[in-house]
Amino acid sequence: MEIIENSKVKEKVYVEKVENGLTIMVIPKKNIQKKYVIFGTHFGSLDNEFVMPNNNEKIKIPDGVAHFLEHKMFEQENGTNSLDTLSSLGVDANAYTTNDHTAYLFEATDNFYEALDELMDYVQHPYFTDENVEKEKGIIAQEIRMYDDQPSWQVYMNAMQCMYNNSAIKIDIAGTVESINKINKEVLYNCYNTFYHPSNMVMVLCGDFVPEEIIKEVKNRLINKELQGEIKRIYPEEPNEIKQKEITVNMEVSNPLYVIGFKDIPKCKNIVKKHIAIKILLDIIIGESSKLFKDLYEKGDILNAPDLDYEFSDEYAHILISGQAREPKIIYNKIKEEIENIKNEGINKEDFERIKKKIYGNYITEYNSISNIARNFLADYLKGINEFDYIEEYPQVTLEYTTQILKEVFNEEKMVLSVVKGK
Amino acid sequence: MNYKKQEIKKGINLHTIKTDKFKTNLLAVFLTMPLTRETVTIQSLIPAVLTRGSKNMKTADEISKSLEEMYGADFDCGIDKMGDNQVLKFYLEVLDNNYLPENKDLLNEAIDKLFDIIFNPLVDNDEFKEEYVNSEKEKLRQIIEGKIDNKASYAYIRCLEEMYKDKPYGLYKYGYVEDLDDIDSKKLYKAYKDVINNCKMDIFISGQIPEDINKSIEQKLQNINEREAKYIVNEKEENKKQDEKIIKEEMDVAQGKLVMGLNVDVNTKEARYVALVYNAIFGGIPTSKLFQNVREKASLAYTASSSYLRQKNNIFVKCGIEIENYEKAVKIIKEQLEDMKKGNFTDEDIESAKNNIIAVVKCIPDEQDTSITYYFGQELSKFKMEFDEYSENIQKVTKQQIVDLAQNVYIDTIYFLKGVTNGDN
Repeated sequence: MEIIENSKVKEKVYVEKVENGLTIMVIPKKNIQKKYVIFGTHFGSLDNEFVMPNNNEKIKIPDGVAHFLEHKMFEQENGTNSLDTLSSLGVDANAYTTNDHTAYLFEATDNFYEALDELMDYVQHPYFTDENVEKEKGIIAQEIRMYDDQPSWQVYMNAMQCMYNNSAIKIDIAGTVESINKINKEVLYNCYNTFYHPSNMVMVLCGDFVPEEIIKEVKNRLINKELQGEIKRIYPEEPNEIKQKEITVNMEVSNPLYVIGFKDIPKCKNIVKKHIAIKILLDIIIGESSKLFKDLYEKGDILNAPDLDYEFSDEYAHILISGQAREPKIIYNKIKEEIENIKNEGINKEDFERIKKKIYGNYITEYNSISNIARNFLADYLKGINEFDYIEEYPQVTLEYTTQILKEVFNEEKMVLSVVKGK
Repeated sequence: MNYKKQEIKKGINLHTIKTDKFKTNLLAVFLTMPLTRETVTIQSLIPAVLTRGSKNMKTADEISKSLEEMYGADFDCGIDKMGDNQVLKFYLEVLDNNYLPENKDLLNEAIDKLFDIIFNPLVDNDEFKEEYVNSEKEKLRQIIEGKIDNKASYAYIRCLEEMYKDKPYGLYKYGYVEDLDDIDSKKLYKAYKDVINNCKMDIFISGQIPEDINKSIEQKLQNINEREAKYIVNEKEENKKQDEKIIKEEMDVAQGKLVMGLNVDVNTKEARYVALVYNAIFGGIPTSKLFQNVREKASLAYTASSSYLRQKNNIFVKCGIEIENYEKAVKIIKEQLEDMKKGNFTDEDIESAKNNIIAVVKCIPDEQDTSITYYFGQELSKFKMEFDEYSENIQKVTKQQIVDLAQNVYIDTIYFLKGVTNGDN
């Protein structure tokens, strides 16, 4: 077992690699009532084509399978539903699917071991029938329709449409009403057998635990599985260029919503350091204390400070600036100009140091909530990152390095604009 | 939990929650005034204008910069409706001194900044800066108009408006566009003075708090007068049975949003616990009747749930459904209400409902803002109870009590937001 400690945030993570390939991570937190467990697999909406390790057969699956599979995992052969079982224990259980992973989780105050039994039992025992697969289609169709009515989701998806030519990131995680109709139990079993192997999974536990003990408890609940070779995933070739500059659609909204994106090149070798630099840059360009934000706000061009994000995996990387504004094109143009100004004049050193302090505070504050801790450790582990790296790398992010990232990433030809506006 | 309440002055309380579980200290100031049609809009404009600049930090970006210097102290403000009160809320979250890379007393600095924003506004000649007022009026107009953007919450707001027609609780917490023209910097400053001088004022601090904090707060608030705080104590509502109202409205939506407002006409001492357990069995949790029957059995919805609003003794059902499934969904929901009346639920259902509620209560101290909200809710309802006792009271609820309560749950309003139909159907 490996123990990694971070002295700044005063936390430790215990990492155990089980023989069958599963990684278990424990972050102990004293005096917290809740215990949080999250069990994840490296299988998300992007994994649409792959070679199955058990028979070397290559398959292509309909859009939305990872998410569909997540819904179906709760159903048990004896007719019970694990979500109900966990809920009856007074445990708050849930699951979610992202572009690159699927996760099953619960948080418990009482009945912890009963809940752990159930979680590990249902994730390790799929039960799909023609009937139960058919029934789920109606529910997921309503979930998709719910997103159809959310302008914030639409404006985000259209930004993906602008940036990406081929990558499945431009397709809704849940798929479409048409694509989910093509899903059957064979597809689900093929995906389950491929991706729900311990070597492709990780479990993170956060709460008042004794690490050695809880790791033993988890191991006792693992079923035997033969070792499996590496999963060969096939992704479409994605050019560095954007697909189109702009998409505008109409929905019933009061004020237009916008997402301004910058397409970036994935697979950077020190992604944590780059991520920190990009966060700093976004704040310098259009954060709450920036000159640009002040001007736009005072003129009434912008309603709120925009949300600033950097999203990435091995297959995609992009910056997102999103919010509501009377005339999104103005925001787009002003950001473009401001980036040019900063490139020409150089980053103000005072701003840089101040924003860096802010970002330090943000990283430390993440450790207030055990659900944040567990989810972040899981998501980052599946991207090959140890969450503590953000605090460790932080001092290495210099003004020079940040300037270099500004020049590399914030370029007009990689910039897109997605807008949802009223009819 | 180390919760303590001290009166600083008449009408002004300091609440401290001592804990070392967090990396941060959280400060909150709540200014509570009765919710009225006349004041709702002008009062909701106050926090926005205050955060544009104070006497010591004259512009919004000066405020932002000084918070960033404090390792990204996180400021937030907003408007809330709690019972028949409008609450102006201000929060500041700062790193605890133990997690700073330098030796500094950030908590004290944070209290000063927050108080500076709230109590020391940028005022000239008895008025706020006109430029700030005008631009915040415009922003508020956009916020109010933006209530249509989230269709599910819009349907809920509309249902409340219909249920509480001409009553304070039916008011939209941000107010109304038609009031804005009449507001100017002088009137707004007058409204601000009225709030500061007469509101019920509650200050919360959660985290690693020094012993002498009350003295230091007292000293910092020496210029604020004592008051006969005028606010509405949240007591249980008298909900009488009424004819069921059905309201259908059209908007450009793909999915219909159904909201059903129910009255709980029971006012016993235990009613709040019984209603919580009732709601959990009916629609509050995944094993509930609504989730099982509307979603899992009939596949009509992805979201199908209910929640209990204690302040008003109401239960709200919320579902997203295909527009043509309206009748089907309403029928199934009504069947579940009948089932509750007949006592068609098991001891396991009760057990699971109680487990869920108790788990939520137990976790309250795990989050700073949640514990503040818990104690503030109690403060407004003049009801004091620690977590253990609360859980015990939930545990005591009997099946008979739930069935008795079920006889007095009535549909008040059914609101349905549906897509635009062409022609005459």
